[in-house]
Amino acid sequence: MFVPPANLVAILASRLTGSPLPEGITALSAGVVWNLRIARVLLAFLAGAALAASGAVMQSVLRNPLASAYTLGVSSGASLGAGLVMLAGVSIPIAGAFALPFAGFASSLLAMAIVMGISRAIDPRLDNDTIILAGMVFSLFVSAILTLLSALSGQEMSRLMYWQMGSFALRGWEAVAVLAPVLACALAALMALSRELDILTFGEDEAASIGVPVRAVKPALVAVASALAGCTIAFTGVIGFLDLAVPHAVRQVFGPSHRRVIPFSALAGGTLMVVADLIARTMIPPLDLPVGAVTAILGAPFFAWVFFRSRRGRA
Amino acid sequence: MTGGVLIEAKDLRVAYGKRMPDVINGISFTLRAGERLAVIGPNGCGKTTLLRALAGALPYRGSLLVTVTDAESSRRGKRRERRKMGQREAARETGLLSQLSSGWFAYTVRETVLLGRYARGSRSPLASPGRADTEAIDRAMAECGVLELSDELLSRLSGGQLQRVFLARAIAQEPSTLLLDEPTNHLDLKYQHGLIALAERWTAGGDRATIGVFHDLPLALRFADRIILMDGGEIADSGYPRDVLNGKEIDRVYGMPVADSIRSLLQNL
Repeated sequence: MFVPPANLVAILASRLTGSPLPEGITALSAGVVWNLRIARVLLAFLAGAALAASGAVMQSVLRNPLASAYTLGVSSGASLGAGLVMLAGVSIPIAGAFALPFAGFASSLLAMAIVMGISRAIDPRLDNDTIILAGMVFSLFVSAILTLLSALSGQEMSRLMYWQMGSFALRGWEAVAVLAPVLACALAALMALSRELDILTFGEDEAASIGVPVRAVKPALVAVASALAGCTIAFTGVIGFLDLAVPHAVRQVFGPSHRRVIPFSALAGGTLMVVADLIARTMIPPLDLPVGAVTAILGAPFFAWVFFRSRRGRA
Repeated sequence: MTGGVLIEAKDLRVAYGKRMPDVINGISFTLRAGERLAVIGPNGCGKTTLLRALAGALPYRGSLLVTVTDAESSRRGKRRERRKMGQREAARETGLLSQLSSGWFAYTVRETVLLGRYARGSRSPLASPGRADTEAIDRAMAECGVLELSDELLSRLSGGQLQRVFLARAIAQEPSTLLLDEPTNHLDLKYQHGLIALAERWTAGGDRATIGVFHDLPLALRFADRIILMDGGEIADSGYPRDVLNGKEIDRVYGMPVADSIRSLLQNL
């Protein structure tokens, strides 16, 4: 359904000021614009911002350019949690609209805890490369469980599969209302810890000797980053690579200091996600492609590039 | 010439994790102001672990007393147990130059040295550095000969320059004790001696001290006015550098006649 730009402005103005709709604009197109499209764009922006900020933190804290919610198993953990809630149709009385994000949030933290537990068992010094490796193994395992669940769930299968690939369709204002405050709080916390983030990129021994209480700050940062990714994924499904790519690009442009990296990653991540969603929505009309497919097609080559560059850097 | 006690370890024990064996196996020593202490020993003897524990990067058992400097009067006051001090407070007493220090983000030299002011300056992450901070980092960069590199990116520096930048960061912390973990590794001869001379100058005032971990025994001999020889997480010998290097214990610990082999290495010069 095409809504001319002039009508779009009129619909927005009418919604925001409370004035009646002008002649010639149907209530249907007003509803489509407000309830579906505006909400969808806002949600895409919030999700992109949250994922990119989360990726920036993971990369810095684990000192690994390939760290992200996706590679650490947080994404698949969150999607398994949210998928179980979807399948079971669990309705937690008080939680209501919050059941899905809460499941995502809780299972992302659980996933991170499991990955950290495995890493600690393998390597008591908790080397960052061990964490990444454990995350990838965990991620593959959990994805397999989710695939198995989809296969066994019969008619729910296509819904679950589609959701797993990430989409902003049919989420609406409810998701925006939950994600916006979560993102605001998390960004405030990350900005408050931006100097600790800077120092942690030099290594944990150095950070401790410079005066950062590493044993408290590092888990807090990982928890905030996991929660950001987990909440987002619970609403939108798994959208990979954006959280990995955006912080790298932002550091190239604005330098590595986190008081710039955090806000600009959020801004750039949000903008990019809106563009990716636009592509997903309009590339092959009338198909609404999963946005995760678009970010993966654009992001996977980037991932390879970062990987090979960092390998060459080390050699 | 040595002054008051800066650090006192009593029956210090360190392990990597709760059910892991002790890597530091109950060692005791005292560090006084004005001292340059070298810690030597074969691979795996626990010397780097000791330094990491002193820097607050590892938990320990036993006792590690640190003399606290009063910020106002810059007088040395009470002695406090390291683990009971806040990490920031402890960072005003000890600064670390770790081995293979690296960063893979493109910070500039000045940004890097400024991070050393974390425990000193304002607590607000968004505040710009104050005058005391700017003066301290300029002084530290000048002392380490990296002032003219201040806007350079870390990724463009040589190993020797990088090591001096990280030393400047530790000095900008204004600690009373510098901890150097094999500071001359991967440096060529000129930078090795430059770095040693720098640490000597820094300690020379008489109210600060340096602990250096060394693989290179002649360099330890050149640097230290006291040496601790470690073996299996314990102190095997300690004392004047010449005495320790010529002693019986060092030959047993390294499994070879150490002093003789150093002499024969240099004989052909």
